[in-house]
Amino acid sequence: MKRIIQSLLGLGVLVGGAFLVYAWHPEIAKIEPPKPESFAAELVEKGRVLAGAGNCASCHTLKGGPDYAGGRGMHTPFGTLYVTNITPDVETGIGGWSEQAFARALRLGLARDGAHLFPGLPYTSYKNITDADVTALYAYFMTRKPVKMEEPKSTIPFPLNVRLFQAGWKLLFFAPTPMQSDPGKSAEWNRGAYLAEGLGHCTACHTPRNILGAEKTGAAHFSGALVDNWYAPSLKGKGDAALPWSANELYAYLRDGGSPLHGVAGGSMGHVIEGLNRLPDQDIRAMAVYFADLSGNPVDPSAQEVATLMARNGMLPASATAEEKRGEVIFKNSCAGCHYNPPGLPNVLRPELSLNSAVTGPDPTNLLRLTLEGVSIADGLKDAYMHGYAIGLSDANVAAVARYLRRTYGPANEEAHSAWNTLDKSVGALRAVGREHK
Amino acid sequence: MSTAFKINGQQVSVNDAGDTPLLWVIRDTLGITGTKFGCGIGMCGACTVHVNGRAVRSCLTAVQDVAGAAITTIEGLNPRGEHPLQSAWIRHQVPQCGYCQSGQIMQAAALLKDIPKPTDADINEVMSGNLCRCMAYVRIKAAILDAAAVMRGKKP
Amino acid sequence: MSEIFHRLNNTAGRATPGLTRRGFLIGMAAGSAVFGFAGAALQAAKGGKTGQVPGQTPAGFEPTVWYHIDAQGIVTININRAEMGQHVGTALARIVAEELEADWNSVRLRYVDVEPKYAPFVTGGSWSVFNSYYPLSRAGAAGRIALVEAGAKLLSAAPANCVARNGRVIGPAGEISYGEIVARGDLLRTLSAAEVAALPLKPAAQRRLLARETRAIDIPDKTNGKAVFSIDVRVGGMVFGRPLAPPTRNGAAVSAIDDSAAKAVPGYLQTVRIKDPSLVVDGYVVVLAENWMAAMAASEKVKVTWTAGKTAAVTSEKLAEFGRAQIADQAAGTYVINDEGFDHAVSSAARTLERNYSTSLLMHFQMEPLSAIARQTEGGHWELHSGSQWQSLSLPVLSKSLGVPEDRIHMKTYLLGGGFGRRLNDDFVLMAALAAKASGKTVKLMFTREDDCLITSGRTPSVQKLRAAITPDKTIAAFEHHVAAGWATEVIAPALLAKGVGGKLYDPFVVLGAETWYEFGKIRLRSMSNTLVNNTYRTGWQRGVGSGFMNFGIESFVDELAREIGQDPVAFRLAHLRGKGKNAGAPDRSDGGALRQAAVLKRVVELSGYGKRRLPADTALGIATTTGQEREMPTWIACAAQVHVDRKSGVIQCQKLTLVIDCGTVIHPDGALAQAQGGALFGLSIALHEGARFENGQVADRNLDSYTPLRMRDVPEMQIEFARNTYRPMPMGEPPLTVVAPAIANAIFNAVGVRLRELPLRPQAVLAALQSRT
Ligand code: FES
Ligand code: FES
Repeated sequence: MKRIIQSLLGLGVLVGGAFLVYAWHPEIAKIEPPKPESFAAELVEKGRVLAGAGNCASCHTLKGGPDYAGGRGMHTPFGTLYVTNITPDVETGIGGWSEQAFARALRLGLARDGAHLFPGLPYTSYKNITDADVTALYAYFMTRKPVKMEEPKSTIPFPLNVRLFQAGWKLLFFAPTPMQSDPGKSAEWNRGAYLAEGLGHCTACHTPRNILGAEKTGAAHFSGALVDNWYAPSLKGKGDAALPWSANELYAYLRDGGSPLHGVAGGSMGHVIEGLNRLPDQDIRAMAVYFADLSGNPVDPSAQEVATLMARNGMLPASATAEEKRGEVIFKNSCAGCHYNPPGLPNVLRPELSLNSAVTGPDPTNLLRLTLEGVSIADGLKDAYMHGYAIGLSDANVAAVARYLRRTYGPANEEAHSAWNTLDKSVGALRAVGREHK
Repeated sequence: MSTAFKINGQQVSVNDAGDTPLLWVIRDTLGITGTKFGCGIGMCGACTVHVNGRAVRSCLTAVQDVAGAAITTIEGLNPRGEHPLQSAWIRHQVPQCGYCQSGQIMQAAALLKDIPKPTDADINEVMSGNLCRCMAYVRIKAAILDAAAVMRGKKP
Repeated sequence: MSEIFHRLNNTAGRATPGLTRRGFLIGMAAGSAVFGFAGAALQAAKGGKTGQVPGQTPAGFEPTVWYHIDAQGIVTININRAEMGQHVGTALARIVAEELEADWNSVRLRYVDVEPKYAPFVTGGSWSVFNSYYPLSRAGAAGRIALVEAGAKLLSAAPANCVARNGRVIGPAGEISYGEIVARGDLLRTLSAAEVAALPLKPAAQRRLLARETRAIDIPDKTNGKAVFSIDVRVGGMVFGRPLAPPTRNGAAVSAIDDSAAKAVPGYLQTVRIKDPSLVVDGYVVVLAENWMAAMAASEKVKVTWTAGKTAAVTSEKLAEFGRAQIADQAAGTYVINDEGFDHAVSSAARTLERNYSTSLLMHFQMEPLSAIARQTEGGHWELHSGSQWQSLSLPVLSKSLGVPEDRIHMKTYLLGGGFGRRLNDDFVLMAALAAKASGKTVKLMFTREDDCLITSGRTPSVQKLRAAITPDKTIAAFEHHVAAGWATEVIAPALLAKGVGGKLYDPFVVLGAETWYEFGKIRLRSMSNTLVNNTYRTGWQRGVGSGFMNFGIESFVDELAREIGQDPVAFRLAHLRGKGKNAGAPDRSDGGALRQAAVLKRVVELSGYGKRRLPADTALGIATTTGQEREMPTWIACAAQVHVDRKSGVIQCQKLTLVIDCGTVIHPDGALAQAQGGALFGLSIALHEGARFENGQVADRNLDSYTPLRMRDVPEMQIEFARNTYRPMPMGEPPLTVVAPAIANAIFNAVGVRLRELPLRPQAVLAALQSRT
C-alpha cells in the first residue's frame, strides 16, 4: 500500500508550477510575545474552557510532561508524528506568533513560516472555529507558562515528510470554507454541531479515513474508526452498542464520563471527557442533542429492554468452546466483582459489559486494551478506576476472557467481524502498545 | 519518582517506581500489613483495598495510577474496627485462618455500597472473586446479609 | 496404625515422654503461678525415671509449663499448636479452663515459640484435641486442686468444704479469687504421675465450658488487619529472596548462574545457590535484593543453567501408569492387612466385582504463599520465623543442613494463613536458612504463588483397585483394596513408617480410612509406594491425607457393590455396619463402634429424605459414610449429596450437602461447625474443581487461572447436624472432607446412571460416559 501512496504522491510532483503557486504561503512575521497582562482575564478563562472542548492537552501534553509543551508521539499508518510545543516560548513554541498566525494555523494548517502542517492537527475541523473563539484560545495559550522544549523529528518517510506535499493533500481533501449553521435545526442543535464538528473535532477519531489519511465523507461520517490503537465507535444509527445512544445517555456520558447503559469512557475518550469537564452543562446538552440526532433521536430504552439484554448475564451456550469456558471462569473470578449488576438499571460505576460497545462492537481493540491497561482515575468518570490485567493475565487468558464475553454478548453473525477471530495475535501486539504508552 | 496519595486518611508520599504494585507499597514501603498477597494475578482478592471508595485488587494497581487518590485498607475501614461488616464478621465467627478476610471484608464493603440490599445471587457474583481456601463461604455470606440488614437499621 | 500416636511423640529428635505419663508440678515464679507437667530434663536431673515425681521444691526447676495465672487472675494458656483456622487455641484453652474452673473472660492465649519444654510441635492429623484432651484436662484439674487448697487456707476453711467456680474459690464463709490466691498464697504442690492419672475429671453434666457455645479468641484480630502472619513479619536488616526452581524437584544441579543482566536492577544484591546436605532443597537458586519488587525483577533477569534430574519428562499420565503397573504386580508393595483364608474365601465365592479408581494431584493452595525469615545470630544461633505445622520434624533436618545442634535453632511462631498440611513440610524454611547461610544475610524468602505451586508438597495422585467376593447368598466373603500412591512419610518422615505383614514398611497415612468398620469378611489391604511420584516431587500430607482418596474408592465401590447384588446402597451399608467383633469399638477411643456409624447414616437418610423425596429429572441424592482418620480415633460421618447433572454440558451441580457427624463431645461447637462447613466444601472442591496437571516433570497448574478451587457461587445449601453424646472428643479438622467426593460420585450415578471413577469428577467424563452408554 505504501508504494501506491508513494507513486501517487510522485505523480503530484509532476503537476508542477501551478501547484507551487497554490502551495506557497508567506511567512507571518514574528512578533514580540504579548505580555500576559495584556489579555483580559475573562477572555483567558473563555479560552481555557475552549481549550478543554478542543482537548488540546491530550495531544499537546506529554504524559507527565509540562502542559502544552508537545512532544507526544502520534501514531499514524504513515509513521509517528510528534506534536508541537504550543506554549508561548519564542524559540520552540508559539511565543513569536501573532493572533493572525495562530488563526491561520488552526484553520488552514499552516505554520507561521508558511509551511504546511500535517493534518494531525485537525484543521479540517478547526476551520469551523469562529473568530471570537480563536481570539479566546489565543489569549489562553499566550498566557501559559512558556516551556523550552523541542519535539522529536517525525518518522514519516520521504517524500511524505516533505511539507509541500501536504499542500497536495489539501488540494485533494480540504476545502477551507467553514460550515454553515442549519436554519432548519434548533439553536441547541447548531451549537452542538459547532462544538462537535469544530473545536471538538470528534470526526477526527470517529470517522474512518481513506488510504491517504483523510476523513471519509457521506455515509462514513461518524461511522466508527480505529485510531492510534483505540477504536472510536460509530455514532450513527444504532451504533456499536447493544442499545442506541439517546440524548440522555449521551449527556450523561459526555458530562460525567460514563452512563449506565454504555459504560465508562476509557482510552483517549477518557481524555476527551477530562477536557469537556470545563464546558457548561448547556454546551454538553447541545452536543448530546446533535449526536442523538445522528442516531435518529432514539428514546431511552424501556426497563424491559434493558432487562432482556442483561438477562443473558454470563450464560454461555452449551456449545461453548473450552476456551470460552476458561474465559468464563477467569471473568467470574477476576472481573465480575466490579462488572456484575443486579437486575435493573446498571450502576454506572459497574460498567455493564453485556451492553458495552467494547464487547459488542466490530473491533476488539478497546476491550483488549482496557483489559490490559485499565482505566486511570484521571480519565472519564469520577472515581472510576480499573487496574489493567497486564501483569495478571497471559495473552491466552486475556483472549479467553474476550472470547467468553463476545460469545455471551456479541452479535450472532460473528463472520462480519473478522477482527474477533485473531484475538490471540492482537493481544500480544496491543500489550506492546500499552507498555509503550505507559 | 515520588507518588503522593492518601491512605486511611493520612497523606503520604512514596518513592517506589511508578509501576510498583500498590500492594507492595502498602505492605513493604508503608508497613501496613492487613492487606494480603495471595496470587498476584487479580484472582484471589486477598489484596483488595478501596481506591476512592471502589474495591480494587492492589496487586495489579500500579502506584502511579493512584496518585492523588484516597486509599482505604482494612485498617482504615473503621477507626475502631467496628464497621457493620466487621461486627457481623465477629458475630458470625467468620474467619478461619483469617488470611483472606481483609480482602473479603473490603470487597463486601464495596458490594454493600453499590448494592445495599443484596440477594444471594448478588453476593455470589460479586464475592466469587475472593477465594477463601478455608472455605468459610457460608459464614461470609451470612455475615454480609446480616451487616446489610444492620446498615438498613436492623438491630444487630 | 495405632503406632502413629506413640511414634509421633518421638519424632522431636529427642526423647520426649508421652504427655500422659508426666508428673505434675506447680510452683511460683515472679508473682505468678505456673502449672505444668514436669519435663524429661527435670526428671533426669533428679535421677528419677519418666513418670516419677520430681523433688520437693520447684526452686531451680524449669517445669514444662502449660499455663500460668498472674496476680490479677489472668490465666494465660500456652498453645504449642499452629493456629491455622481451626481455632485450636480456643479449643485447648477451653479444655484447661473447664477443669481449672477458670473465669473464661480472664483466659488469654500465648502461642509459644519452639522450645524443648513445649515439644512436640506438630499440628496435623486432626490430632490436637484428641491428643490433648486428657493431659490438658488433668493439667486444669491439678491446678484447681492446688488453688482450692491454697484458697481454703487463706479462707481458713477445710479444702473439702471449698469449691472452685469461675476463677474463685468459694468456702463456707467467704470466697477468694484466683488472682488473690496467687498474690498472697503459697502454691507449692506436686502430684505424682499416678495421682495425675487418677485425677477425677468432671462428669459431663457438670461442664460449664465444653460443648457450650463460645467465640474463638483468635477471630477479632482477623477482622481488622491486626493478625500477624509470618509473611507480615519484618526483622531489622533483612533482604528479600525469591527462589528459582530447578527443572526437576529432585536431582537437578546448577551448572551456571549468569546474573549480569540482573545487576542493572536497582536493589539487586546477589544470587545464591542452595547447597543442601539433606538434599531437601538442593538445586534451588535464590535471588536476593533489597526489596521484594527488586527481587522479583532481578529474578526475571538471572539466567540459571541446570542439568535436570531424571524426572524431567514425567507427566500426570506417567505417574498414574506407574501406579497401575505396581497394582498389577502381586508381589509389589506391603500388605497392611492380609487375613488368613482370604484366597479361600475368594475362590469359594460365586463371583467377584472389581473396579479401579484414581485421583489426581492436588495443591494445598493455602492462601498465604510460603515465606520464612532466617538469620544467624550471635554464637552460631539461628532464628527462624515462619508459619509451620511440624517444627519437631524440621529441627533435625535444619540441624543437619545448617550444621548446628538443634538447641541453637530457634523457631518463632506466627499465625498460619492456611496450613492444610502444606506446612508439615518445612522445606521452605530450610531454603530460607540456607540462603541466609550462603549470603551471610538475614533473608526473608518469599514465594510467589507460582513458586509455591512449583515446590508443591501436594496430595499424591493415587490409583486404586478394589475387589469383593460375593457369595451365592449375596454376602461379602472377602474384600480387597490395593493402592499405589506417593508415600510422603517415606520421603519426609521415614521414622513414622509403619510395619505391615512380614515386617515390610508402609506409609500409615496413605491407607488411613481403609480399615473400615464394615463386616466384609476376609480383608486384604495392600499399599505400594509410587516411587515415580516420590522421585518426581516431594509429596506431602494434605488435609484428609489417605482418607481423602481411599474413601473415594471405598465408598464409590460400596455403592457399586450394592447395585451389583441388587440392594439399596444404604440398606447394604447398614447390613454390614453391625458393630460386632473387632467392629464393636474400643472404650474411650471408639465406644459403640460401627453402630455409631450406622446411626449417623440412618440420620442423614432421614434428614436428606433419601429414598423418600421425589427429585426433578437428572437430580438425585448420593450417600457416603466414613470414619475420618485413624481407626483408633474415629469421627463417624455420613453425607448425602444432592446433585443435578446437565446431560448436554455434563456440568455437575451440587445443590445440597447434608452431613451428620458424631465426634463425641463437641469441645467448641461453633468451631466444630465451622470445620464441618469448611471441610465439607473443601471436599466438594476436591470432588469437582481441583486437580493439577503434571507436565515436563513440573506442576503445570500454578495459579488460579487454571487451578480453580471452589468459590462462593459454587456453594450448595448445607445442613449439618452433630450427634449429642459425651464420649471422648474426636477430630474435626479433616474427617468432614473425606465423605463428600464419594457421595457426589454416587449421586451422579443415581441421577444419570453413569459411574465416574476418577477424581476430580469432570463434565467431560460425564459426557463421555453418557455417550458410551448410547
Ligand atoms: S493477590 Fe491480588 S488478587 Fe490475589
Ligand atoms: S479464612 Fe482462611 S482463606 Fe479464608
